Amino acid sequence: MRFLRKLLLPVLALASLALARSSTGDSVLILLDPSLKKENFSVFFGDLENKGYQLTFRSPKDATPEIIKDDVAQFAHVVVFAPNTKTFAADVTPQALVSLLSKNTNLLLALSPKQTPLTSLASEFSLILPPPGTPLISHFPKRDTPATVIPVDAPAAYDIISPNLPPVWFSGVPQALGNNPMLVPLLKAPTHAFASDGDSDSGADALVEAAEKSGEGLWAGSSLSLVTGFQALTNARATWVGGVEMFSDEFFNKEISKGVKSGNRQFASDVAAWTFQENHVLRIDTVEHHRVNETLPSETYTINDRVTYTAYISKYDSELDVWEPYSGIKDLQLEFTMLDPHIRTSLPPVAGEPGKYSVTFRVPDRHGVFKFVIDYKRKGWTYLTSSTVVPVVPPRHDEYPRFLSAAWPYYAGAFSTSAAFVLFVALWLAGDDREPKKSKGAKSE
Amino acid sequence: MPLAYTLPSNLSPATVANTSSLLRIVALALISGAAIASRLFAVVNFESIIHEFDPWFNYRATRVLAEKGFYAFWNWFDHTAWYPLGRVVGGTIYPGLMATSGVIYNVLHALNLPVDIRNICVLLAPGFSALTAWSTYMFTKEMKDESAGLLAAAFIGIAPGYISRSVAGSYDNEAIAIFLLMFTFYCWIKALKTGSVLFGTLTALFYFYMVAAWGGYAFITNMIPLHALTLILMGRFSSRLYTAYSSWYAIGTLASMQVPFVGFQPVRTSEHMAALGVFGLLQIVAFAELVRAHVSSRHFQSILFGSVIGIGVLGVFAFAGLTYKGWIAPWTGRFYSLWDTGYAKKYIPIIASVSEHQPTAWPSFFMDLQFLIFLFPAGVILCFRELRDEHVFVIIYAVVASYFAGVMVRLMLTLTPVVCVAAAVAFSSLLDTYIDPVEPDVLAPSTQATEAEVPAGDSPANAPSGSATTSKKAKKAAAADASSSGLASGVLAAMSPSGKSAKPRGIFGLDTRIVVIANALGMLLFFVLHCTYVTSSAYSSPSVVLASQNPDGSQHIIDDFREAYYWLRQNTPQDAVVMSWWDYGYQIAGMADRPTLVDNNTWNNTHIATVGKAMSSPEEVAYPILRKHDVDYVLIIFGGLIGYSGDDINKFLWMVRIAQGVWPEEIQEPNYFTAKGEYRVDDQAAPAMKNSLMYKMSYYRFAELYGGNSAVDRVRGQQVPKTGPTLDYLDEAFTSENWIVRIYQVKKEDLLGRDLKTANSFDQGKKRKKSKPLARRKAVV
Repeated sequence: MRFLRKLLLPVLALASLALARSSTGDSVLILLDPSLKKENFSVFFGDLENKGYQLTFRSPKDATPEIIKDDVAQFAHVVVFAPNTKTFAADVTPQALVSLLSKNTNLLLALSPKQTPLTSLASEFSLILPPPGTPLISHFPKRDTPATVIPVDAPAAYDIISPNLPPVWFSGVPQALGNNPMLVPLLKAPTHAFASDGDSDSGADALVEAAEKSGEGLWAGSSLSLVTGFQALTNARATWVGGVEMFSDEFFNKEISKGVKSGNRQFASDVAAWTFQENHVLRIDTVEHHRVNETLPSETYTINDRVTYTAYISKYDSELDVWEPYSGIKDLQLEFTMLDPHIRTSLPPVAGEPGKYSVTFRVPDRHGVFKFVIDYKRKGWTYLTSSTVVPVVPPRHDEYPRFLSAAWPYYAGAFSTSAAFVLFVALWLAGDDREPKKSKGAKSE
Repeated sequence: MPLAYTLPSNLSPATVANTSSLLRIVALALISGAAIASRLFAVVNFESIIHEFDPWFNYRATRVLAEKGFYAFWNWFDHTAWYPLGRVVGGTIYPGLMATSGVIYNVLHALNLPVDIRNICVLLAPGFSALTAWSTYMFTKEMKDESAGLLAAAFIGIAPGYISRSVAGSYDNEAIAIFLLMFTFYCWIKALKTGSVLFGTLTALFYFYMVAAWGGYAFITNMIPLHALTLILMGRFSSRLYTAYSSWYAIGTLASMQVPFVGFQPVRTSEHMAALGVFGLLQIVAFAELVRAHVSSRHFQSILFGSVIGIGVLGVFAFAGLTYKGWIAPWTGRFYSLWDTGYAKKYIPIIASVSEHQPTAWPSFFMDLQFLIFLFPAGVILCFRELRDEHVFVIIYAVVASYFAGVMVRLMLTLTPVVCVAAAVAFSSLLDTYIDPVEPDVLAPSTQATEAEVPAGDSPANAPSGSATTSKKAKKAAAADASSSGLASGVLAAMSPSGKSAKPRGIFGLDTRIVVIANALGMLLFFVLHCTYVTSSAYSSPSVVLASQNPDGSQHIIDDFREAYYWLRQNTPQDAVVMSWWDYGYQIAGMADRPTLVDNNTWNNTHIATVGKAMSSPEEVAYPILRKHDVDYVLIIFGGLIGYSGDDINKFLWMVRIAQGVWPEEIQEPNYFTAKGEYRVDDQAAPAMKNSLMYKMSYYRFAELYGGNSAVDRVRGQQVPKTGPTLDYLDEAFTSENWIVRIYQVKKEDLLGRDLKTANSFDQGKKRKKSKPLARRKAVV
């Protein structure tokens, strides 16, 4: 089913004659809170449309268009810009949003300091939000904006954000990160920022106290994330943004310093591109395995066979909307596993053949049902997982050595005994028959 | 000489002999027919289906053999069993059964008889039971005569003790093994009697067949040496014994080592050392005989004394040394459990958990053997009367098999043949005595004691014809040896010890004879009724299909097992791994065709303990185990709804015990009992019990079925809690009609990386507790 979709979606995209940019589809549903004017985000939405996305707008309380109909996701991407909405329409529940991820639909969600259903949903993604009404504030650097509107340096996190961006404006709620390896923090808070309930620094004492208690309950410092990506096991991506204002025209055009525009526009574009699976998308096209000197895969392998395993990996190119062979992975590993990995080896790219990764190894001296396992999980990149089951069997009865040099004494023993027996029989039969007669006679007497 | 009734006297001896042999053939044919027919209850009542557990594997293996040929079978690596370890089938089975079916299958197909392999498998056991009857006839004939042989054949043909393992569909090793056992013993007796190398070799060949067919071959391996040793100790060493034993041991041992599963065991394990030791002893004794023939007796005495002590000490030291060095494997646990019935429970729970390894209950002796068990001692005593070499064999066999049958229910099977033989000897002696028309001569008291010794025909059928020869022979016998103590006269002597020697002893008149014989025939009749009843009611259930009775008395078939297995077959991917307790491994492999974690070939205790641990642990502990073993489905048997007592909750303590054997820190049996030490499943069940995966899977949604009324588990007779257990890591996938089989699907990992319990409570809309940022190392102030 998923495979079919993967095949179908590009075809559909072509059919709609749009410049598809995403590897999973170009239909976007935007749940926009009525309190936020569409015009205020015109640049962001315009950029998306220019890239080729088809945007559908819907108020969170409207019943249509449904996000999931007959258990099929209706859009390839869903943007939830409803940070203040307390009640959503019946079909937009936190559970429905999570199930979208299982249907390979990407999510872009905006938070706010207010307590909404999304706040509790964030905790399912291992994000730990501060109590309601405590936005991020910072008094540095000195500026004319309120303390909650903060310029943040945007380093090129995981190659997802463009390098050398000017600082971006942020206003909203920070997220502390749980220890979930699926989280991809895209923008970290400045070291001097902290979450507090209001502009006055009334909470400062509590912060100091928390800092002394080994940092528990402390929403402060650069460990907080402001924009956090999340890649689910299905490879669908969800990005949590601390404040929806980041994407507004106002912040896009706001100057960081005299004559320098903020990096928000590029940053927003980068975040959307990653979230909508335009880049950092890989896939394993096929895997092959066969004995050395053979070409076809074997149904079973014998212990101590030498086996070659090959994987073909492609990367999605959003410029051309094609999958191209990709040899850029340097740390790919292959495991040959039965309960535990019996062999773990690097799976290096083959020089001269793009996209091909190959390794040859000796099957362990242990029979059982083994698996070739590729489990490549790197932050920001699609997970590459592949598992191929092959039984490893002991040698056939005629594959053992026929004669052992160590057994020569036994062979000699067997042959000499046989020869002696033949000799004995021959002598017995050809021997003199007088004696038995004699004894017989003696007995009868 | 007075006769109780007159006999025709105008028949020639040739006619008598021909008629009696014809009657014997007819009788044997009828016995074979009865033996086969009484085993077909299972097919008639149910259908032509493979029974129970192990037969399903044998059937599956036979299919591989029939479809892919012998070498593919020989090298078959079953990667669906013991996932992911796999099983080298060729090296871990006794291939005799499959090979036999394969040969029959190929022969029939070569004759253009396209018989389905399943039908061959189903009907193999009844077919071989006819052969068993024949070989028992041959064996008993060596003990006494043809009439006893026919009786023994009839007994073994319908004795429930043997039928229990050989009904149609019970396609197990024992199906052919009992025939091989009896025929090997027959060949051995014959070889011993005649001293013929030919029969010794035949013994070895059938011994090889037996080794290839059943693990119980060790019984022969130790019986024959024990017999030989006893004969030597009784001073009955002879060149016949030497020839028979040496040819059997040399050829039989070499042949048995060709079976891959046996391999070098005959020279490396303690179980086989007795045979080797007796073989060595025989050589020494033979040499001593040779020396005695050439040396004077006094010299011989001293030589014998010295050498016996020397060799004995040397032998014991050599055995101990080899065992210590590891060249000879010490006794296995299964062996110890034969001597100490509590041993297995303590050290190898996996053996003790099998119901057929439990000690036998007294009533089952009567149930399996009926009146034979009473005649059995009489037959053994009669063997003492004559005590030829072969009678010694029967006596040893009787003693050893009686002991083993008392230790393990399963070994009732090896006892049954000797019971039939001994009982037949006793019964035919009785008939001989009372059918014989010769009355004691009151005037000539000196001869009467021997009168009854006369071989009085073969069976009740041809007894009347024997008169002409009888009286002649009787006179001859009386003349030759007036004081000989024959079988029957011995019985008489034992029966009337009070009689004075001067008084004539014997049976007078027709009425006495008729009363005793009618009584004996009545016993036979009741035996037949009993056998038929027991066979049809107790031993013909396939246990794959259960039968119950409707209120109107008609039969109601409970077919939950096959329903569930076919569900698996139809609705799950071909490579979906199914975890269940090992009892059901073979059936899942055979009927559902899915990989299993453990099965009835319990070779890897750790792997079974892993399953036991998963079943007896809480969900969150079990889940990583399930994922590690790629388990997709978990199958359990639950009898609480209809009262099927052989379910997994009743076996649960064995799972706990076996798991405890490997992980004593994590699983402890006492935790599964209440504080009072009771095994409960209701409100008061122990917390470990309530949290265990097995309990949760068994009672998941069980209370809902009763719609608010109190839910009662009909096996345990306890009320289960109204709010049943919840499952977070498994989904109910299938529950059969009568809830006997329940199948659960193991959930995949959560796509957000949460643990499934959290994910589940999120899906149910429960609020999650607020968390705070994680503590880090304390900041340096």
